Amino acid sequence: MSEIKYLETHEWYSLTENKITIGISDYAQGELGDIVFVTLPEVGQEFSKGESMVEVEATKTVAEAYAPMDCVIVEINDRLESEPEVINTDPCGDGWMVKAEVVNLDDSGMLYQEYETFIS
Amino acid sequence: MPDSLVSPLHNYHTSQNAKFIDFAGWSMPFSYEGTIKEHNYVREDKGFFDVSHMGRLEIQYNDIAILQTLICSDIENLQVGKALYSIFTNNNGCAIDDVIFWKFQDKILLICNAANTLKIKEHLITYSISFNDVTNSTALIAIQGPNAIEIMEGLVDIPDSFSCLQNDQYTYARTGYTGEDGLEIMVSLDYVDELLDYLKSNNISPCGLGSRDTLRLEASLPLYGFELSDEITPVEAGLKWTITNKQPYLGSEVITEQLKNGPHKILKKFEIDTRAIARTGTKVSAGESGGVVTSGNFSPRLQKSIGFVMFENQPSTDLIVFDIRGKLVEGKILKKRFLN
Repeated sequence: MSEIKYLETHEWYSLTENKITIGISDYAQGELGDIVFVTLPEVGQEFSKGESMVEVEATKTVAEAYAPMDCVIVEINDRLESEPEVINTDPCGDGWMVKAEVVNLDDSGMLYQEYETFIS
Repeated sequence: MPDSLVSPLHNYHTSQNAKFIDFAGWSMPFSYEGTIKEHNYVREDKGFFDVSHMGRLEIQYNDIAILQTLICSDIENLQVGKALYSIFTNNNGCAIDDVIFWKFQDKILLICNAANTLKIKEHLITYSISFNDVTNSTALIAIQGPNAIEIMEGLVDIPDSFSCLQNDQYTYARTGYTGEDGLEIMVSLDYVDELLDYLKSNNISPCGLGSRDTLRLEASLPLYGFELSDEITPVEAGLKWTITNKQPYLGSEVITEQLKNGPHKILKKFEIDTRAIARTGTKVSAGESGGVVTSGNFSPRLQKSIGFVMFENQPSTDLIVFDIRGKLVEGKILKKRFLN
């Protein structure tokens, strides 16, 4: 799997060939606090870059995760329906949200070091 | 923006890596280890909250007769040594603030919401009630949970439920805002560290305002600014039980009329059988009745979404539909408390 890249809206993605895996960053989960509910899209749903894909409910507030590039959902992380707290404990691993096929490649996300500067 | 006020325990909170939230001009801890974890400490064991942002006014006992004309509860006939939850009402019978009184021989301690401290002080001044504002010269700490009392027995004499005591160091009552047993302790700045050391040495975990909110909601307790406001009466907020004042008080004729027959808006509890949270402001319908969610969150104990909704009038059905950001979600009105 390729290196994880981050967006200013605090999603991460990793690109392998023509497929991306998407989640939210460790910083984002920390800011949100306890995540209790996640509304995931359906397989086959299409998203344009910047469109809201996932709704994340925390005890503190609700947040959205946006598509990092134009893509079509090919897989969702079912585990999040019963264990949304996995996003808190392992945001960039088991807490991934969706996998999608890239329609228009836009690999302009920040590498971790750059993202770290961005959030500090 | 002016600098936020901080609690006397601020350095301790920082040392515990608290996440802070700006609340009514104060920077207070929102959470330390996580809201749900802290929620469970209090429900299952014990935890403590720094609530030093809340206003604390010592009212002269002699002014009790005037005070009685400003609140919907009977404080004059309350025994000395008791605590009282009540509501300051305006001319329309609506809530200026909901407060706790601790009635002592020589004074009445008034604890009000941080956002309303100034408003309450001005109100007391208008009605010539003398008070001493001790908010900045004391801290207020709430120790709550099923195991809180047995730990606090090692520090102070334990009062009966809803009763208050004082000694040289502490002024305290067996009250709280979590639905659990516990104490709320006011302490002068000279003794704050001593109290904090006691809590630390007994492994009582600090809990933030995030869990205080989920705990109070689960305990079916209202929060001013949400379930109560200067446009909501105690009757409308489902707080009829606080109306024990038989003498005239501000807005009492409106409240008496509502109690008798008048149609009025009405607060209801709801639950949703999923984790989809219906947050403050969510529009609701129940048959012909419309309403708005005043507070809504995930209940860690019930593992579902709960909250309060204010209906324009008494709904004819218990089945309700929420419009959660364009998505229609079904729920139901609860007649009993969230927790038994």
